[in-house]
Amino acid sequence: MRLSAFASVKLTIALMTLIAVSILVGAWCPQESQVGFQKVVETFGAENAGYLRQWGITDLFHTPFFLGLIGMLTVNMIACSVQRVFPKARLLKQKMPYLGEKEISKFPVSREMVLKTEADVAFKELAEALKKQQYSVQIQGNKLTAEWGKIALLAATITHIGLLSLLAGVTITSWTGFNGFKPVPIGGKLNFGESEHSKLWIGKLPPWEVRVDDTRRENYASGDPKQWYSNLSVVDKDGKVLHKQEISVNNPLSYGGVDVYQSSWGLDAIEIAFNGRPTQLPLRQMGGTHAAFMQLDENTTMIFSLRGQDKPVRVFAKIPEWQQPKMLAEIPAGYASKFGEVQIAYLKAIPVTGLQYKSDPGLPLTYVAFGIIMLGVMLAAIPFRQVWAVAVAADPIDGAPTCHMLLGGTSKKAKTDFERKLEKLSQKISVKFGTVELATSSAAAEAAASQEKKTEVETTAATNG
Amino acid sequence: MSDIQVTLTNTAGISSVVSFWVFVGSNALSKKKEHLVKAAQFVMLIGFAALTAAIVTRGFESDRFPLSNLYESLLWFAWAVMGGYLALSRTYDLKQLGWLASLTAAVFFLYGSWLPAGQQEIKPLVPALVSYWRQIHVPPLIVSYAMFFIAGLSAFVQLWQAGRLRSVLLAAIALTAGLSAIGLGTFTDVNTFYLQALFVGGSIAGLVAAWLGLGKISEAKVNEKRAELYDEVVYRAIMIGFPLLTIGIITGGLWANHAWGSYWSWDPKESMALTTWLGYAAYIHLRIHHECSSEKLSLVAVGGMLLTVLTYLGFNSLGFGGLHSYGKFKD
Ligand code: HEM
Repeated sequence: MRLSAFASVKLTIALMTLIAVSILVGAWCPQESQVGFQKVVETFGAENAGYLRQWGITDLFHTPFFLGLIGMLTVNMIACSVQRVFPKARLLKQKMPYLGEKEISKFPVSREMVLKTEADVAFKELAEALKKQQYSVQIQGNKLTAEWGKIALLAATITHIGLLSLLAGVTITSWTGFNGFKPVPIGGKLNFGESEHSKLWIGKLPPWEVRVDDTRRENYASGDPKQWYSNLSVVDKDGKVLHKQEISVNNPLSYGGVDVYQSSWGLDAIEIAFNGRPTQLPLRQMGGTHAAFMQLDENTTMIFSLRGQDKPVRVFAKIPEWQQPKMLAEIPAGYASKFGEVQIAYLKAIPVTGLQYKSDPGLPLTYVAFGIIMLGVMLAAIPFRQVWAVAVAADPIDGAPTCHMLLGGTSKKAKTDFERKLEKLSQKISVKFGTVELATSSAAAEAAASQEKKTEVETTAATNG
Repeated sequence: MSDIQVTLTNTAGISSVVSFWVFVGSNALSKKKEHLVKAAQFVMLIGFAALTAAIVTRGFESDRFPLSNLYESLLWFAWAVMGGYLALSRTYDLKQLGWLASLTAAVFFLYGSWLPAGQQEIKPLVPALVSYWRQIHVPPLIVSYAMFFIAGLSAFVQLWQAGRLRSVLLAAIALTAGLSAIGLGTFTDVNTFYLQALFVGGSIAGLVAAWLGLGKISEAKVNEKRAELYDEVVYRAIMIGFPLLTIGIITGGLWANHAWGSYWSWDPKESMALTTWLGYAAYIHLRIHHECSSEKLSLVAVGGMLLTVLTYLGFNSLGFGGLHSYGKFKD
């Protein structure tokens, strides 16, 4: 198939709509890759979740269907850009032709006046007024051209180049980057062995690891978390420290092309001493609290419940006969309690830090693309405007000079705004010099028009549509 | 909240209601129309100034950028709708858009004031929101939503001026279905699946019917010049909203990358914003393609408005989850 078959804006619109609808469905259905299949089951029930999975809706953004749509949009955009969008950038260099009265009067927006002054005086006034409105003005004899916002002609080109660069950046990352998440307790290490990457991966994993030296949480007075911190060391195979840094949410570690982010925080275990013998019990998150369980015998379970790192641990016992566990004691960190023969000391809570990491080699290009796209869409809001004017000396009235001026133009966007501004401009000039009734002037206009050299000029405006 | 902040916010809310009625009055008393429109715009200007002051005061009182929960974002939205209308009416002679804009602002004030007090209180931020990125990311989004709203409202006026009364009615039904779903989702416990069905079903059915109804023209009502003007306002508002949405989405990506290490994670709210973005990209290309009538484009703009509402408010009230659910207030 030839490329041009894809260069249809109708196809673009159809694809954009289809992609938009797909994304909407993907937003509606919890995505396996984000929250796990369990969440889908919770939301829709096991049976429906099964169907959704079968149709690929639970992992929609990785289905061949979705990737195919994106692929088609890419081809479509390349074809369209090369065939029609990029060539338009040439218009930027095109000079505005000077137009005569006849052509100017054909513009949807035009004004005709007979002013009580000389042609070049009126002209100078007009040029000044246009320049004040930031138009770039050119004058040749009795003809004037002015344009504003020409840079907007580049909007589509720039936006599309940006979008294509973005796709390139994303592709580079998906082929060579990696990412993952790991909860690491104090003293533990993060290596990249379990990281995720795409099927077409051709990247490499770093040889060094990240050690968690410390991690802590800062609270608001209410007890809600305000910030989480972790002290990390980058260590090589021999344990040599290559780099040290404290990270927090919004403040990651960057080393060797890999970024490590503070993404969550929790309590991993408590250290308890039984009669002086320390042991660690793993904590489980139970709603707002953490709890560790220890089976004492067949029937009795001890439960250690902890509400926060600096809160005391509460010790419960549970046997089947009791409806609810019974609280035995509340022990602050560093203290002990005696239960018959056994002394239980609460030494400390061991926090775990949730580390997110990633290597994103396409990122610089992606960021450049972001910049280009933002620039492009901002340019697209600018209306490109062109103004033409002609002034010819007309019959003097009572010996005073008069001139006939015709002013017209186009605006690619915001036409009403343009019309209003042009109207204001002509009024200002009329008021400044005074006008003669236009009835007498049509004859003058005729005369002037016939003097025009009838050169065929194709205007930029006409080619722009 | 201090008294001064409450007073300023109430002034803004009352101004929006008053200007709505003055706009309505201007339609009833055609002799005094020009004066009344000017008066209504002036009242709205007062409301806009009061709201600006209220938001700034709130920022000082909380000692942070005052845009971090649903209540505050509603204030910003109302602010941007009022400001957007006032700015556009400097260039365009906008009469009918006035009552729609002030009504929108008033409804959003009301929506905000009905939120549980916990949302209106100034509360500390969760770790993920403690970042200067918040003030770069969120304002362009809220302002873009407001611009898209103005575009949608202008689209209604455009259809009206083009004599497409039937389509106006049907599109209004679509919008009402969508907004009702949002309202029910916010203030009641109706099953979210029903609400989603109401939103999606109502929007699609209403818009398709409005599209099919475009053929029916009430010739007596047609005012081509005005229809053309409002068509341009739709386009203008979208061309201002679109770059803002683009900037909002991209800065959101930059923030996410900075905070979580990934600029895109198909989080539902992100996805929805992208859908809205694609919807308006489609609008822009339809427009450039020159094959679509102004009336069809207006219906696309109404569709975009519904997507905007879904993105902005639908997520929390219609039960979508994700990272952005900090705006949520019902557990
Ligand atoms: C993917 C396939 C796409 C194709 C085939 C396509 C095609 C086109 C074409 C033919 C134009 C007209 C250029 C002109 O007349 O000057 C255009 C303009 C434009 N496109 Fe696209 N486009 C695509 C995607 C996008 C996307 C995803 C965006 C998102 C921002 C976008 C943004 C723009 C903008 C901002 C303009 C300029 C509008 C203006 O000057 O008012 N395009 N596009």
